[in-house]
Amino acid sequence: MLDKNVFSKVLDEALKRGGDFAEIYVEEKTISNIYFDDNKIESINSGREKGAGIRVIKDGSTAYVYTNDLSTESLLDAASAANHAAGSRKTINRPEIALNLKSIDDQLNLHPGQLSFADKIEHILSANKIARDYSKEIRQVTITLGDVRKNVQIANSDGELVEDERSRVRMTVNTVAAQGNVVQTGYESAGEIGGWELLQKVSLDDMALKAASLAVNMLTAQPAPAGKMSVVMSSTAGGTLVHEACGHGLEADLVQKGLSIYKDNRGRKVAAPGVNIIDDATIEGQYGSYKFDDEGIRAQRKVLIENGELRGYMYDRLTAKKDGTESTGNGRRESYQHKPIPRMSNTLIGPGSEEPELIIKSTAHGLLVKKMGGGQVNTTNGDFVFEVQEAYLIENGEITAPVKGAILTGNGPEVLKNIDSIGNDLGFGIGTCGKDGQGVAVGDAQPTIRIKQLTVGGTMMADGPRIKRIRRK
Amino acid sequence: MNEERLKEAGIIALEAGLRQGVHAEVYLMASRQLSIEVADNVVETLKESDETGLGIRLINGDKLGFAYTSDLSAQAILDAVDDAYHITTYTYADKYNILPPGLYEYQTMELYDKEIKTTPVEAKIELARQAEKAAREADNRITIIERAGYEDAEYISLIMNTNGMYASGQGNFSGVYIYLAAEEKGDAQTGFAMHMSKWFKDLKPQEVGREAAVRATRSLNARSISSAILPCIMEPYVVTQFLSILSRMVNAEAVQKGKSLLAGKLGQKVASACVTLVDDATRIDGTGSFPFDGEGVPTRCNQVIAKGILQNYLYDTYTAAKDGVSSTGNAQRGSFRSLPTVGTSNFMVLPGNNSTEALIADIGKGFYITEVMGMHTVNPVSGDFSVGAAGIMIENGGLTFPVHGVTIAGNIVDFLQNIDAVGSEMRFYGSKAAPSIRLKSLSIGGE
Repeated sequence: MLDKNVFSKVLDEALKRGGDFAEIYVEEKTISNIYFDDNKIESINSGREKGAGIRVIKDGSTAYVYTNDLSTESLLDAASAANHAAGSRKTINRPEIALNLKSIDDQLNLHPGQLSFADKIEHILSANKIARDYSKEIRQVTITLGDVRKNVQIANSDGELVEDERSRVRMTVNTVAAQGNVVQTGYESAGEIGGWELLQKVSLDDMALKAASLAVNMLTAQPAPAGKMSVVMSSTAGGTLVHEACGHGLEADLVQKGLSIYKDNRGRKVAAPGVNIIDDATIEGQYGSYKFDDEGIRAQRKVLIENGELRGYMYDRLTAKKDGTESTGNGRRESYQHKPIPRMSNTLIGPGSEEPELIIKSTAHGLLVKKMGGGQVNTTNGDFVFEVQEAYLIENGEITAPVKGAILTGNGPEVLKNIDSIGNDLGFGIGTCGKDGQGVAVGDAQPTIRIKQLTVGGTMMADGPRIKRIRRK
Repeated sequence: MNEERLKEAGIIALEAGLRQGVHAEVYLMASRQLSIEVADNVVETLKESDETGLGIRLINGDKLGFAYTSDLSAQAILDAVDDAYHITTYTYADKYNILPPGLYEYQTMELYDKEIKTTPVEAKIELARQAEKAAREADNRITIIERAGYEDAEYISLIMNTNGMYASGQGNFSGVYIYLAAEEKGDAQTGFAMHMSKWFKDLKPQEVGREAAVRATRSLNARSISSAILPCIMEPYVVTQFLSILSRMVNAEAVQKGKSLLAGKLGQKVASACVTLVDDATRIDGTGSFPFDGEGVPTRCNQVIAKGILQNYLYDTYTAAKDGVSSTGNAQRGSFRSLPTVGTSNFMVLPGNNSTEALIADIGKGFYITEVMGMHTVNPVSGDFSVGAAGIMIENGGLTFPVHGVTIAGNIVDFLQNIDAVGSEMRFYGSKAAPSIRLKSLSIGGE
């Protein structure tokens, strides 16, 4: 990694002709991914990468230059280019920047466990066998194991220097089951910051079994009903809903641009009583946790909505300055190739006090969602659409038939006001969140909740004609 | 970074591979990018990048290994070759793991526009500003410009292998885009438009601004409708999103693994007779144009569906060897960081001869679809789709009120057969292109 003196020189160059703030972010990364499909190791990918991104902010405008040549000469060139791009013209004299290393009280200390390719492959082969042995209907099993290690240095013209070691592991199982003309898929994923000690907490074999049984069970599921109904979302569904339908609208950049439904709503009731929404980067081990964000700010726990009332937004340095407040430690970036922007870490709906079973029991008619798929949201008006992977009908308080092909459409803010039961459990999910072309690791969580009324779109009309099921030869 | 410097690095990699006694291929890339984001006439972000790297693929007695590095020093390259070799001791032998033969003739393609390089940054900023200005002037309900942007990129890519291959090429492109929102009576709707071009002088920022303004304002005060089965028209942008699903279904890898509904259907009628689908990297005007693919195989124009009949799957060298056919030149690389995989270049539904107005004219009651949400959730294995949609109602041959909050559902197989007319104006969105299409009927889920 780079020397303190190099950082000082680069930062001086970056502000030579003026500018309000300069920063250099250096990253050295090694990655390893195994992709197993169709009963064989399809590919193993291993890579090493390093690079630096230099940022100059002047009057709220950002110039960002990155390079993967870490020679001092190349970094000074990049700093000069950034300074020039920021619109600075005149050389000014300023005192040399003295850098102080921020101390780390190792709350999230990493001793990531390593695993050889041979050991990883052994886990994969075992899981593959378990999924395939589950049923003759299982036609395909895809398993991935991936890990990333990063050494990061961040130095800025406020004199802050942060050095951080990061490690993250992730594993996924995808299954395809077929019976006659019907094809269904199942999916399980797990991940955390840290290393392969994850395998001691989560068994890849169990994940394979779950993914296989989900795909097989859905083969005989009936098409989901369509129309407005009560939807109970189990804590096992993870927090895709809170992330997509609410979290993005609370990111300060979208709020400041007027692109969020939550703009100018601080202090107002935006959700049903009892609803708490929190973004927490400090939860030990969780996939979206970190020690410092990508601008060198300590990770925080931030209450966004408290008992239905909007408390605040998620900020990075730039948006915080604009609002005259402090960063909430949500400035994140995918890599040295990207400028930091406000992002979520682990976003969750806080647990309530009701027993999950009683929430279902008290539902006369509705849909129980056990597992969510992907989703998309329009943050400007809050409209969302979510795919459901695993769902069941609720009839007279009882869980009855599994249904497939359900999608949930609705409006985030309306859903938050429509939550009428909050369970005392909490389930986590992991994901990679994409925004402005940058993917970052996030976690999300929710208790079992009931939404009074939500539009379910399926392949069967509630009171219209049944859609012909597709016959394939 | 010039070609000579990349070539030197490539030779170090191949020689190290030969010393290990294996077949080797090295893919080298150097690129520069510029992106400018303007909002409220102010440059919000200006970003420049400079990137180089290589990916090394080794075949050790039918076993495959891959590693990459962004550091082109001799030591880093040797480390990458060692990593890749180490990986070959864990992967399985597969006799179809082969590298393309060495010597090909490549066609000359003019893919580099000097004007992009010589135009000063200030003039490029101005293009983004023009897009914003045109959008604001188009309609006073345009209240928010999230971002108006200009981007350009240039790249050199070079592929060498131990069969004697040497393929090198360079290209560049530029583009203007805008994201905005319109507001009226408490409703807010977003609009987006982009235009990418091989030729700098063809960029039309004002048109981009006006198009996004129209997209946002026409959706204002949209409402939901009752569930129904209706004839539909899809705008080119929506069709290109369906093309992303189709591109995964005509991919030989998916076909061979039984993950495509189109497996075993060559020569069969899989779509309506008005549908012709091609993949063509040799066209100059798409962003997927290049003389050779990600393994150095010359590209060509591939007919995938001709008048509704499935003609061809898309192959790279590995999948072609498995089926005993030739590669169609469809090995794609996202970057030097990954192995080549089968993918599309310029993937296009060819235009028909109906204007959009003519497509709408004979519809008594229908739905004009301008936006779909959640396409990435569509299951390419079963072909079932159920996605969010927004658009405009068609009544008595004309567009009437805006609609949102509905879902459209069906299966890709029915979707292809259901197309009963194709529009005459094909538009590129990145490397995918399509005209408007009309569907006889589609299931719409609403209130």
